[in-house]
Amino acid sequence: MVNPVISVKNLKKYYSVHQKEPGLLGSIKSLFKRKYIVVKAVDGVSFKIDEGELVGFIGPNGAGKTTTLKVLSGLLYPTSGEARVLGFEPFKRQPDFQKKISLVMGQKNQLWWDLPAWETFILNKEIYEILQKRFEETVKQLARMLDVEDILKVQVRKLSLGQRMKCELIAALLHQPQVLFLDEPTIGLDVVAQKTMRDFIKEYNERFNATIVLTSHYMGDVKELCKRVIIINEGKILYDGLLTEIVEKFAPYKIIKADFEKMVDKDKLIGFGEIKNYDGLYVEIQLSKEEVAKKAAKLLSSFAVADLTIEDPAIEDIIRQVFKKGTV
Amino acid sequence: MINKYLTIFKISWQEGLVYRLNFILWRVRTILQLLLVYFIWWTVFQSQTQIFGYTQSSILTYILVSAIIRAVVLSSRATDVSNQINDGSVVNFLIKPLGFISYYFSRDLADKLLNILFVILEVSLIIVLLKPPIFLQTNPNTLILFTLAAILGILTYFCIGFVISLTAFWVENSWGPLFLMFIFLEGFGGGLFPIDILPRGVFNFLMLTPFPYLIYFPAKIYLGHFSANEIFLYFSILIFWVITLWFLMRWMVNMGLRHYTAVGH
Ligand SMILES: Nc1ncnc2c1ncn2[C@@H]1O[C@H](COP(=O)(O)OP(=O)(O)OP(=O)(O)O)[C@@H](O)[C@H]1O
Ligand SMILES: [Mg+2]
Repeated sequence: MVNPVISVKNLKKYYSVHQKEPGLLGSIKSLFKRKYIVVKAVDGVSFKIDEGELVGFIGPNGAGKTTTLKVLSGLLYPTSGEARVLGFEPFKRQPDFQKKISLVMGQKNQLWWDLPAWETFILNKEIYEILQKRFEETVKQLARMLDVEDILKVQVRKLSLGQRMKCELIAALLHQPQVLFLDEPTIGLDVVAQKTMRDFIKEYNERFNATIVLTSHYMGDVKELCKRVIIINEGKILYDGLLTEIVEKFAPYKIIKADFEKMVDKDKLIGFGEIKNYDGLYVEIQLSKEEVAKKAAKLLSSFAVADLTIEDPAIEDIIRQVFKKGTV
Repeated sequence: MINKYLTIFKISWQEGLVYRLNFILWRVRTILQLLLVYFIWWTVFQSQTQIFGYTQSSILTYILVSAIIRAVVLSSRATDVSNQINDGSVVNFLIKPLGFISYYFSRDLADKLLNILFVILEVSLIIVLLKPPIFLQTNPNTLILFTLAAILGILTYFCIGFVISLTAFWVENSWGPLFLMFIFLEGFGGGLFPIDILPRGVFNFLMLTPFPYLIYFPAKIYLGHFSANEIFLYFSILIFWVITLWFLMRWMVNMGLRHYTAVGH
């Protein structure tokens, strides 16, 4: 039996936040008597992740995603519970551990602002003690995959957000980490750059059999990359399992989308299912899986249908539903 | 291993090159400051031959030597440390196999090397142009002691700067203490005047603090003004401070990072 690469047991991380009343009086008051409230950012989370898995970590703002990733990469000391990554306790920050992991935060940067990204790469090469030959190969390979070969020698402050993000990613991957934590790696990128990023993450995962945990607010990222998702809200796990299963579990219904050739009365559509969208020439009907085939056939035979598709509900809608319900 | 630090060295210089105008302006400022102090003392000696036991030659030598020492000892990245703690980029140290202290020490040394090149050039220029009656120390033992004192001074300053900057882990603004430190250094470090012109009691008290060891002490060693007993006593105090401050700094880094990873950022 192989040990999981990441194992988290009943992990808790509470912040105590100093509350200050507004204004000068509030400032003075807080000098003498400080009020603290406890924020349960991560509140008893357990999961295991195996080698080579690419797991999506999703949840609304403030759910505790970044906090969890910070604990796993050794930036935060857990309040209680256990976190192990590659057999190490992350908060001990042993060099052997640090050489095997990487954390990329879409909001934070490590590149030297005034110098070309290349210089940061060189520094990282020395910090991680990467051999010259391997360093050159890795940079070349990564830069080609991300299509940034020609901007590595340009001052970072002159790069676009997307170009910078790609360079950040290269800097974080030079030492070929076996475990990679990506916190909103596609934030602020345009569709093309997002796509490049996704393809890259997928390829990195496959080529190096790297274990990757990724957070994102773009469901596109998750849908395309992650077979398994962990949904977290208010510090607690709501769902941990296959993305496809959540669709079945949460949305045992399908959507029929139909374009008509001629106007169709809304009344005539009653009995097909729940009408989600209607404008005379176009309709979206939600109905149970069992009925979908029968009703679609009926629709086709009853009206002049120009186009008809049967779809799963949008993943965004399902996730939203999970957040709302609070449990699975 | 050593490559790591050489690279930090190189990258620091490269970054410095980007800001070469700043660097030049800063050098101009130091030269003007040096000339100001130089001419004040030069004027004072127009009407007298000896003041506070200093001849014109020894005081002018003191001023020039202390300019060189200042360039080596005082340049420090202490303020960077508190900035990085405040803006969160200290995370880069937590995530990488890279020592916090050794990183900054390397960057500091890179600065010092650059500074010493420039200050030697500047002082030579002043000597050539103004032809002050300087005193050239030739005794090798004295020169060795001088170098040793300067190295210990570098460590002392580095530790003091670091210890103060590290308070940024706990308080939001460590600008106040840093400012106070600069005042103390200017006043009691011996950069403006040799502190033995102060009353004896004040002087003796100051010699128990780390400040005079940054500039005054090595400069006076260069001049050969200390007896063997004094050298022994003062070196003992200096070494005491270096060790104390070093451990205090190490302790604060550990506590600070622990605090940082506990409260979040
Ligand atoms: N350093 C901190 N001190 C105090 N509270 C914090 C700190 N960092 C985060 N929190 C709080 O902990 C909770 C979880 O934050 P976290 O950053 O983990 O959320 P997240 O899931 O990453 O959200 P987002 O999607 O907005 O990035 C939030 O309520 C946040 O306000
Ligand atoms: Mg976050």
